[in-house]
Amino acid sequence: MILLNNDLSDLAQAIVHGKAPSSQIDTSNQNYSVAIGIEVYRNNYRGNLHDTLVGVYPVIEQLVGKDFFRLLTRRFIGQNLSRSGNLDHYGAEMADFVAAFEPAQELAYLPDVAALEWACHCAYFADDAASLDIDKLAQIPPEQYPNLILHIHPACHLVRSRYPITAIWHAHQLSASGDFHIDLDSGSSNALVSRKNDVVLVDKLTEADAAWLQSIQAGTQLGEATASTLEHYPDFNLQAALLKLVAQNVFENFTLGETP
Amino acid sequence: MNNRQILSAAIGSLLALGVVSNASAAGKNMEQCYGIAKEGHNDCSSKKSSHSCAGQATKDRDAEDFVAVPKGTCAKIAGGHLKS
Repeated sequence: MILLNNDLSDLAQAIVHGKAPSSQIDTSNQNYSVAIGIEVYRNNYRGNLHDTLVGVYPVIEQLVGKDFFRLLTRRFIGQNLSRSGNLDHYGAEMADFVAAFEPAQELAYLPDVAALEWACHCAYFADDAASLDIDKLAQIPPEQYPNLILHIHPACHLVRSRYPITAIWHAHQLSASGDFHIDLDSGSSNALVSRKNDVVLVDKLTEADAAWLQSIQAGTQLGEATASTLEHYPDFNLQAALLKLVAQNVFENFTLGETP
Repeated sequence: MNNRQILSAAIGSLLALGVVSNASAAGKNMEQCYGIAKEGHNDCSSKKSSHSCAGQATKDRDAEDFVAVPKGTCAKIAGGHLKS
């Protein structure tokens, strides 16, 4: 991180916290007082961060409305400094913030929707990575399949929630059409976020598929992950899960682990 | 079916279908098409633009905002330009 010299960091402090700068910076201006000048900077600073959050959390904005969202981001910006020169890194704390945000307590699903939107945002900006090489996989002898360690693509995220967040997210996309009725008590949902051809995808996974993927994400070998998933979910269908996840570009590569 | 057979069947079907998803190649086959983005749905913008980047276009078809499209597509779109 680049450290600013004292004068500039003093000005930055003034902008962030709305205090008058104490340093030697020439703040004299014929038309504006120092306080008003700082307010102009301060407004731009907050406006930029607000626009950034609108870009990352369009579903949250639709769910609570523009005015409420402006209030929410104002509080968020007051509590969370931008810690990177790259604004794409700003806003990670939104899910935790919303969970503790008193005026939004009635919307119990809001924190999980925020977590899903952050995952989509991260997926969009994640590094490129190769897709699973099927030809390379074809060279692995079947007796070694249980030792396969599948590597997850950097754009892939799994967001698990007690609420139907996948349906909520899809209902607030531009492409959404028709009458939506979402039953908030319709049970948990496992949102799979991935990126294919530069487009971020959000798809719903069954409990069994999500449990298996979580195990694979943790670096568990294919044999063990599948066996333990089948133990808890006898209906788990590895074939269907693999086809679906490969089509969603969830895996980037694989290695072979030791036989336990 | 035991676990080993399940794995063989599942990976076998993957190999048989020859499922190929090639995401990384797509990025290299895209071009930046200016002047066609819908408000709030641009992929990014030129350095001359008044906003930061993705999703921040404030009006439709701003000449400074672009959408990434497959190579060769931009010239076919009315109002689309490869330069801002």
